Amino acid sequence: MFPEWLIFVVMTLSFILAAMWVKWPIGISLIAASIIGALVAGEGFPVRHLIEGTFAYLDPILIISTAMVFMEVLRRSGALGSLSRLIIVKMHRQPFWLLFFITIFIMFPGMITGLSTATVLTTGALVAPALMHLGIPKLKVAAMIAMSAIYGMIAPPINVPAMIIGGGVDMPYIGFELPLIFATFPLAIGVNLGLGYKYVRQVDLEKILPDLEADAFEAYGWRLYSPLILVVVLLLGIRLFPQFFPNLGVPLIFMIGSLAGLFSGKKFNFWKLSHQSLQEALPVIGILMGIGMFIQIMTLTGVRGMLVIGSLSLPTFWRYLGISTMMPLFGAISAYGSASVLGVPFLLAYLGRNEIIVGSALSLISGLGDLMPPTALAGIFAAQVVGEGNYFRVLKYTIIPAIATAAWGIAMIVLANQLGKFL
Amino acid sequence: MKSFLKLKKNWFALLSILIAAAASWGVSLQFRQMLAREKLFPAPSLTQVLHLHDYHPALKGTHGDTKIYRFEGKEPGGKVLLLGGTHPNEPAGYMSAYLMIENVQVARGTLYIIPRANNSAFTHTDPQEGNPQFFTIRGKKGLRKFRYGSRDTNPIDQWPDPDIYLHYPSGQELAGNETRNLNRNYPGRPDGTFTEQVAYAIVKFIQSEKIDLAFDLHEASPEYPVVNAIVSSESSQDIATEAALELAFEDLHYSLEPSPYNFRGLSHREWENYTDALPILMETANPIQGRLRGKTDARLILTGWDKMYLKAAKLGVLSVPYDSSGLPLKVRVGRHIEAFQKIVEIFSRDHPDKAVRILNLPSYSELMEKGIEEFF
Ligand SMILES: [Zn+2]
Repeated sequence: MFPEWLIFVVMTLSFILAAMWVKWPIGISLIAASIIGALVAGEGFPVRHLIEGTFAYLDPILIISTAMVFMEVLRRSGALGSLSRLIIVKMHRQPFWLLFFITIFIMFPGMITGLSTATVLTTGALVAPALMHLGIPKLKVAAMIAMSAIYGMIAPPINVPAMIIGGGVDMPYIGFELPLIFATFPLAIGVNLGLGYKYVRQVDLEKILPDLEADAFEAYGWRLYSPLILVVVLLLGIRLFPQFFPNLGVPLIFMIGSLAGLFSGKKFNFWKLSHQSLQEALPVIGILMGIGMFIQIMTLTGVRGMLVIGSLSLPTFWRYLGISTMMPLFGAISAYGSASVLGVPFLLAYLGRNEIIVGSALSLISGLGDLMPPTALAGIFAAQVVGEGNYFRVLKYTIIPAIATAAWGIAMIVLANQLGKFL
Repeated sequence: MKSFLKLKKNWFALLSILIAAAASWGVSLQFRQMLAREKLFPAPSLTQVLHLHDYHPALKGTHGDTKIYRFEGKEPGGKVLLLGGTHPNEPAGYMSAYLMIENVQVARGTLYIIPRANNSAFTHTDPQEGNPQFFTIRGKKGLRKFRYGSRDTNPIDQWPDPDIYLHYPSGQELAGNETRNLNRNYPGRPDGTFTEQVAYAIVKFIQSEKIDLAFDLHEASPEYPVVNAIVSSESSQDIATEAALELAFEDLHYSLEPSPYNFRGLSHREWENYTDALPILMETANPIQGRLRGKTDARLILTGWDKMYLKAAKLGVLSVPYDSSGLPLKVRVGRHIEAFQKIVEIFSRDHPDKAVRILNLPSYSELMEKGIEEFF
């Protein structure tokens, strides 16, 4: 019988070898590593566990697939180009407010759905062309979108990681609004100004205008934006008037929006488009399924428990460091997984401090998991949105914002009781 | 050459699909085994088997329908309900219920037992938890196989989850997956979600049968603050306090937890609000549902012994004493059964007209001595 640490080393090494040396796709490499992990742990070839693990991501996979189709529909119908034209023409004179509102605008879907990927693929994709036309380099645009999406996921009213962490200690999701606003908005605005302000200070509209897509709004009127409005109304409606709106689920809402897009603007071939979009989503879907297997095997073999205990055993100072590294690292799986597996024990370790503030801070740090390779969902999709093939180049620009975010979160934990008096 | 490449590519795709189909087929057979209900051997004193659908007909034929075992004594008396399997990943809860069904005798009053309260949650296991599907006990009646399930309703029965779960009728917000947690869905509603309907049927049952005292048996992870606990509401608080005192004399220690006013949807809170029953919820400590556990297998359910939890105990992060003897299932079941009997006894003392006398259940020390095998 291998000890847990050795199983972990074997799994990690086989993943790295498969991905870097044999050059298998990341998803396949994760599957291979999971199988090898199960074998060396004496679990045989546990088909049931491998398949069961993938089901954790059934819902995210459906959301990602349908969101990709929806965004492509908005692009082909002309809505995307017209909207970015609108933003540039209306706001190029007030650079600070431009970035301020764009930040809030990108964050918005994350705030109401609690999903960073849906955020990147909707409002992120909507503003990306405008930001690039304004002169911000595309990698920085992608970094801005990825970071804003994460802050949006964490910002109130809906923060699923905080709900998961709270649920683990039976703390209702009440009173989180102010702490979460404090945890996200200053960072979001600071990060976006830091990444983009110097490029938008001086904008020469005459130079940009010829590059912009023609305005389709004149030809189609409000119909052009109807899919977008429909999706926002459905997402918000369920949130605000749950008694009147049926719970359609985010994937169905995106599909309804996509179909509405067929009649909203320029014509396109829907079958070809959806085939193409799914093709693009496939590698990510593969990664998610591979990660699902990887975690299931880590849990089965005791590796997960070893990692959790390891993080909890760290002395005070190192524990802060542990939180700010282990939570995002574990979030390589997903922010939700990190919140559940590590967020709950960490919150328990800090019982006695203001639990709402600590929970909010832990959820913020767990959100960074969406930047961590190999999944790096926010990073991957942000790269896709700006047309960059290698998402590691995007992640480079998120390192400093991520460190700032982790530091902000740790400061909130350290000062939880003092902050609790104000928030 | 080109057509050959194309053929080769298609062959590869075809082969992949065939492998995937074969794996899915094999695994689906394995998954379907989880739908089967354990065979029980109820004690001869069983009076009647009712169903939840008797109280909410819409549940008939669904995975939400579940059996209600009724044991009526010769002498008239009060009515006690015991719920196991609200959370099928907390085996001491439903194993205590099973043990009672197979051994109990009621002399006075009536005892109702619902061992699989959220039956649907028994029919699947949680992704990424690596849990075993079954565990076995070599009992007196043969090799007994029991399910290890999930905390929440099977998504097959209720899907998709909303992003946030709004509790009815309070409007309290919880994470979306809690919409499938029976113990967040009380009092439920007849036209609500699957889980709300199960909760509604249970409340309706308590109301129509005029239950006097109602138990909900649970377990929690050893690091969770409310563990080895008796949770009571305003009306059951006195009985719970008295019971905890008397149990302490037997060296079984319990913390007393009041049912929070503002945390809605829980059995003790809403049974208090919507029925006349005195609600009691009990928790024992169960390592396999904890996040600190190491290797996850059926053995861990039975022994409760885990290397990582030993380390956690040394770190001082656990809420219960934990040493190399682990937390065996018999200890956890023993605590539940002993505390149950104690509380029924105190209730009967305080309410002589509604007294309930229960016989033939082992005491804690008897279970420690003989093991649970003796009773299955
Ligand atoms: Zn429970």
